[in-house]
Amino acid sequence: MDQTSSAVPGAHQPLVRHDILFTVLALAILFLTIVPVGMAVFWLGFARGDSPCVMCWEQRIGMILISLVGLFVLRFGPKPKYIGMAVLIAAWGIFMGMRHTGMHAARDVGQGFSTEILGAHTYSWALFIYWVCVVVMGALLLMVRGEHLQTDPRTLRGIERLAGGAFLVVVGANIVQAFASTGPPPFMGQSDPVRFSFSPRHWTWSLEEWNPVRISLRGRWAVHKPDLVTVVSDPAVGPLVNLPPLTVKERKPLKLTLDGSPTDLAYDLATDQFLLTTAKGVYLTDGTLARVNRYTIIDPGFSVDVGRIAGTAFLDAGAVIAVGENKSYVILRPNDQASADSNFRFFLESRDRFDEISRSRFATVRARLLYIMSAAYDPASNAVYTVTVPNNRVKRLIVSRFDRRDLTLSEEYSPPLSPESGLTLGPNRALDELTVTGAAVADGQLFTLSAAYGTLLTIDLGLRQVVAAHAIPGLTRPTGIAIKGGELYIVDAAGMLTVVARPPAPYLLSRYRRTWGTASFGSK
Amino acid sequence: MEFLNLVLIFTTAFLVLRRPGRERLAFRLLVISTILMVFLFSVATRTGLLPGVNY
Repeated sequence: MDQTSSAVPGAHQPLVRHDILFTVLALAILFLTIVPVGMAVFWLGFARGDSPCVMCWEQRIGMILISLVGLFVLRFGPKPKYIGMAVLIAAWGIFMGMRHTGMHAARDVGQGFSTEILGAHTYSWALFIYWVCVVVMGALLLMVRGEHLQTDPRTLRGIERLAGGAFLVVVGANIVQAFASTGPPPFMGQSDPVRFSFSPRHWTWSLEEWNPVRISLRGRWAVHKPDLVTVVSDPAVGPLVNLPPLTVKERKPLKLTLDGSPTDLAYDLATDQFLLTTAKGVYLTDGTLARVNRYTIIDPGFSVDVGRIAGTAFLDAGAVIAVGENKSYVILRPNDQASADSNFRFFLESRDRFDEISRSRFATVRARLLYIMSAAYDPASNAVYTVTVPNNRVKRLIVSRFDRRDLTLSEEYSPPLSPESGLTLGPNRALDELTVTGAAVADGQLFTLSAAYGTLLTIDLGLRQVVAAHAIPGLTRPTGIAIKGGELYIVDAAGMLTVVARPPAPYLLSRYRRTWGTASFGSK
Repeated sequence: MEFLNLVLIFTTAFLVLRRPGRERLAFRLLVISTILMVFLFSVATRTGLLPGVNY
């Protein structure tokens, strides 16, 4: 043992250990103090003018606290309470890194907040550094022996004193930067801090973080799944006033044996079949909805989580698509020779009637963080359409179009009312209040049925405007709509089928009327 | 508030390095600094306490 090191005032019976444990720990403190924290304050801060945001400050302070615990261990030995503090601080640091990185992790390539270092933004490095701290702490704990658990303060050796000195210098510099950037209490760090300056004229001290706001666990991600129980179905109280009603021709219960409530409906003129879905089931029926021709029950949790199926449509070449509320989808193709064994992984029942072609997710931009309850296919443009439903945080009606070839977002918009349509919104009302649960395409127009206020919107796909709207009286929680000839077939959550007359073609035709305008008639 | 916390940390480190006989006080300051860090981060992120990603 080296007894030549200087004793420290206040140290009792100094116990000096030339132990690799303390040498490694001192080096680790030096690294953590100088590389991330020291460079952040001297290079990024003082030299380049970078000011940490409020979250960066706390992450930086967390690293400083881990170094500080290291100094405790150098001086007093690896007592359990110090190890406990180090683990707690590092765990909180990882959480802070996840919280901060989570804000930006899904942005496009190269995008982020503040400065980039070696191809990653600073908050990303914080997550990595805390992870490294945990790894290093684990390795150091493996080196702890019984004789390290002393009770008296140690006398620090050269490299340990160097670690302590570096710590004081770096923390002192951070105190200077914190005073300039955040100010004395009660001022605190800012979400969007001003560039660092040594000149007081450029200092901005803020209390904005103390402003009262709603506390939430998940913030804008706390979106409730859609539920039709509370929707009001009376068209008379809807956002659109004086809607002409459609004539109800027939209303009767479905005679089909299903594994749950219907969630959507589609019709295919070429095969004269209906396509009906439940939360997990896909059913092909005859043209009168009297007999199931084939069905299957999808395993919604296998691979991509499709969740609750909410929309469906016939696609090209006999394929069908079932879309979950979460915009995940599965594409199936009927096959009389399907292998039940091969399809075991995809289907829970009737595994020899369909093949699964693909399963993935629609990605949206405007419709992000909004669920959908409908899907439609337009063969003319070879595109799948979905329409959003409002939720507890956001009320927006967004039409999304996905190219069938790559099933990638191609267009999104909130359709306004066509000025020539004569439609009028009530005072302080908006189409965003509608809860579209069914959609179908015909003649270049997207027919969307809202369970809220029993309203049928006709959206011209060329104009991207609502060109007509009608009330459908007597509907209760409708979940799907299909177009067959001159009639609309509507199913609801209670298993009722309502047939109404298809509205007359709007006098207003798309200025961009496409040659394929009539090709999609009767399809969905 | 970050300024205050860093001053506390500096004081704690000074006690550890130069006044090891005040270990109990130093440890209490360490705990206070840690709690202050957790509190300030929570204040800053209270509109969405959990990481804002898909769960």
